[in-house]
Parts: sequence; C-alpha cells; structure tokens
Amino acid sequence: MGTTSYVSISLATALERSLDLAAHNMANASTAGYKAQHPLLEAVDPKNSGDDTQAVSFVKDSGVYVDLSQGALVQTGNSLDVAVTGEGWLGYLTADGQTAYGRDGRLSVDAEGQLVNLAGNPVVDEGGAPITLPQDVGHLVQIAQDGTLTDQTGGILGRIGLFNVPNFDSAAPLGNGLFLPNPNANAPTPVENAQFAQGFIEQSNVQPVVEMIHLMDIQRAYERATHLMSDENELTKQAIQRLGRVV
Amino acid sequence: MKALGIAATGMLAQQTNVDVIANNIANANTTGFKTGRAAFQDLIYQSQLQEGAATSTQGTSRPVGLNVGLGVQGAGVVRLNTQGALTQTENQFDMAVNGRGFFVVTRPDGTQAYTRAGAFQLSSTGQLVTLDGFEIDPGINVPNNARSVVVSPQGVVQAFLDNDPDPTDLGQLTLATFLNEAGMRPIGNNLLEQTTASGAANVVTPGDPGVGIIQQGYLENANVNIVAQITDLIQAQRAYEMNSRSIETADQMLQTANQIKS
Repeated sequence: MGTTSYVSISLATALERSLDLAAHNMANASTAGYKAQHPLLEAVDPKNSGDDTQAVSFVKDSGVYVDLSQGALVQTGNSLDVAVTGEGWLGYLTADGQTAYGRDGRLSVDAEGQLVNLAGNPVVDEGGAPITLPQDVGHLVQIAQDGTLTDQTGGILGRIGLFNVPNFDSAAPLGNGLFLPNPNANAPTPVENAQFAQGFIEQSNVQPVVEMIHLMDIQRAYERATHLMSDENELTKQAIQRLGRVV
Repeated sequence: MKALGIAATGMLAQQTNVDVIANNIANANTTGFKTGRAAFQDLIYQSQLQEGAATSTQGTSRPVGLNVGLGVQGAGVVRLNTQGALTQTENQFDMAVNGRGFFVVTRPDGTQAYTRAGAFQLSSTGQLVTLDGFEIDPGINVPNNARSVVVSPQGVVQAFLDNDPDPTDLGQLTLATFLNEAGMRPIGNNLLEQTTASGAANVVTPGDPGVGIIQQGYLENANVNIVAQITDLIQAQRAYEMNSRSIETADQMLQTANQIKS
C-alpha cells in the first residue's frame, strides 16, 4: 500500500472521531449547561521528520475544543434553578475533594441542607466552601442577580461563587457537566461582575443545524477518503496486470 | 466508531423525556400534582490525549486534550414545587395548602405518606380521610351531629354541633415540610414518601413562618403548564430525530468502509 492509502486512513480515522463528537453533541442537545465540543484537526507534514521527498500531509486529530458560547435561557419557575447569564463558571466539590467547574445551575438541597447539583456535588461559594441552607428555607430561597442567597425575611445566607477559569481549553471533562482545570494553569479567580438568573436554566449550546451539517460533511469526506483508497487499489491492480503482461 | 452507541444514549434520553412530558400532560387535571422535568447530564469522557501532557523537552505542553464523550445519561426527574392555582369547590372537606407544606397521611400499614391533594372525605366512622380512605395525621373525627365544619388558615378544625351556636374544637391539622422536597419519592395516588435525600419530615403548624396556610373549600390544581409541555414535546421529538440521524450517518459510513475493496 502506498502513501495515498495511509493519508486516506489518517483522514478516515479523524473523521470517525469527529462523528463521535457530533453524535455526543446531539445526544446532549437537551443537557442543561452543556457546551458543544468540536474536533481540532491538523496537518502533519512528514518534512518535519527530516524526510523531504514526500510532499504530503497526514491528518491528525490533535484535540477537542469546547465552544464556550452562551446557551439559551429557559424559564423553569423552579427557584433552585440558576442560570449564569454572563462570563464565569460555577464551582462544585467532587467526591475526592477537588473543585470542578461547570455551568449547570440545576441545583437542589440535599438532606443536610447543602446546595448541590443533580449528581450531588456541593456548589461552592466565593471562598470555595459548600453552601448550607437552614431547614425552614429550602426552595423558598431567593437568589439575587449577583448570586447572594437570602431567606424569606431578607437575611443573607451566603453567595454562590462564580469563577474565571484561566485557559479553560485545557480543562479535563469529567462528565455530569463538570470540568477539572489543568493543574498547571493559573488558579481560578472569582468573577467580579457575576450575573445569575433565578428560575432559569441555561440550555445546551449545541446548534442542531450546525451539527447536521457536520454530519453531512463528515459522511461525504469519509466517502472521499475511502474512494481514494479504492482508486489507489485499482491503480495498483492495473499496474500489476499491465506490467506483468508478457508482450 | 462510538457514534452508534452515543446516539443510542441520546435516543434513550429523549424517550425518557417524552415519558415524563406525557405523564405531566396526563396529570394536568390531577389535584396537587407537581410537574416533573427530566434532567440530563453528559456521560463520562474517554481521554485519548491528555491535556497538559508534555510535547517537548522545552516545557511546552498540549493546550487541549482529546476527550471524546460517550453520550448522555438521565440525572433525575426534578419536580417543580411551585404553587398550583387554587380552585374554589365550596366543599367543606376540600383543603388546599397555600404555601409550603404537605398534608400527612397514615397508610394502612401504619407508615406515613405526604400529599398536596387536600380532597378529603369522611369515612363511615367520621374520620377525615383521603379519596383512597387513608386517614390524615393527626386524625380528625367529625361527629355525626355536626352541622358544618370550619377549618381556620392555621389548621384549627372546629364543628358546629346540633343547634349549638358556639363551635366545638375537633383538632389541629399539621403540615410536614422537608429540606429537600424535590428528593421525595412519588408513589402514585397523589402521595409522596420521605427518603434519605428529602431528609426527615419537619412537623409544623400552618401559618408558621415559611409554612403555608390551609384554605378550606379550595383545591390546588396541578402546576402543569400545558403550552410549555407541548413545546417541550416538540423539542424532544426533534432531538430524537436528530440522534437517529447520527445513527444513520454512522451506519452509512460503516457501509462505505465495507465497500473500499470492491
């Protein structure tokens, strides 16, 4: 098999991964706070490896980037649903004590009164500590635009933290809408101008039309890659037949 | 190619979504019913290239990782605990909680359940019971000679007996509140059970700070917003179709791969 086939295979493999990502995005089209993820493909030029006789480039899928655009807000009327309407990430404590970040504001109160996400990870305040609501407050809590939590009489109970996560592209996704920041990046800092909307959730920012077009794109590119392989196979076959013919 | 499995999780999630929406629409006229919403979360990620991994000996590192997610999973059905509209029924045993709190019901096995549906009736022995005949707790016994029964917003139950112009006290209705009402388990018949997630029941008197009051002669409607449910249904159907397109594409790509050597 010549280089042609290997170039085609590199494209086909990258496309298969792209399809997985598109399918994952579409599967999460109704996951609140979900951020669409797209493949980063790059050309690998063998010249870099010192062999300049081959003027070809291979395709390499070098990573996944997260589309950080704002998702649409949907009113749910549930007082424990909070949408972040501007910059910033909510912080959650993971089971192993680390702080992960995400945009999923579908909160509830656990049996101890802690404000938690749907997976039971406590949401943290600006200081990074969990937030506990008194027994008689529960879902009657009021959440101000800056994240301040108050009870029915206006007593301040705490403030939901909102953080800037530097270099978010290098954060590792954990599932359940959580991302663990890269330990080598700068530590997250509180957002100065936090904007919350109580009773709303931020929908997934997956754009169905864009994903559909990706699907068509991926499929056609895959066909091109496989045709290239078939064509090369055909050429080799013809070469063998013609050269091997006794004149 | 994981796309087939990933898209299947998406279709399963939308099926759950449609089930929950159908249940909401079916219960649009159920007294005290609370709308449910299926909540989803992304599944775990398979990391093929680790972000932050060194790319040279000069200290450069990979800025992004190659993590492929495996689809979506259900994270729960969240009940929307907002107040339903109150409808006047003029039935003296119909009661609505306006605000926070649940009526406490004693089930036949002696355990307790909680409900917002205050459509009560009298049993053959004069006990105040739910439409399933379960006694409410604390029990209220209405004597045979009661002309009428009055329930105050604070839950004090009084009856006017025979020709007595002054009311006689029959008892005090109490409510239960929970720290995490969304964590209660629905068991059908308008009843909810306490769970470890909801925390223990906190027995309170109606009208206490943060607790609802009782309104006699009213019932609480379901808090289902039909228009919102129908739009959710449309979205769920389109999302289902979209996931089926992923499966179709993956299938056709595999077919293409199979035809390379033809």
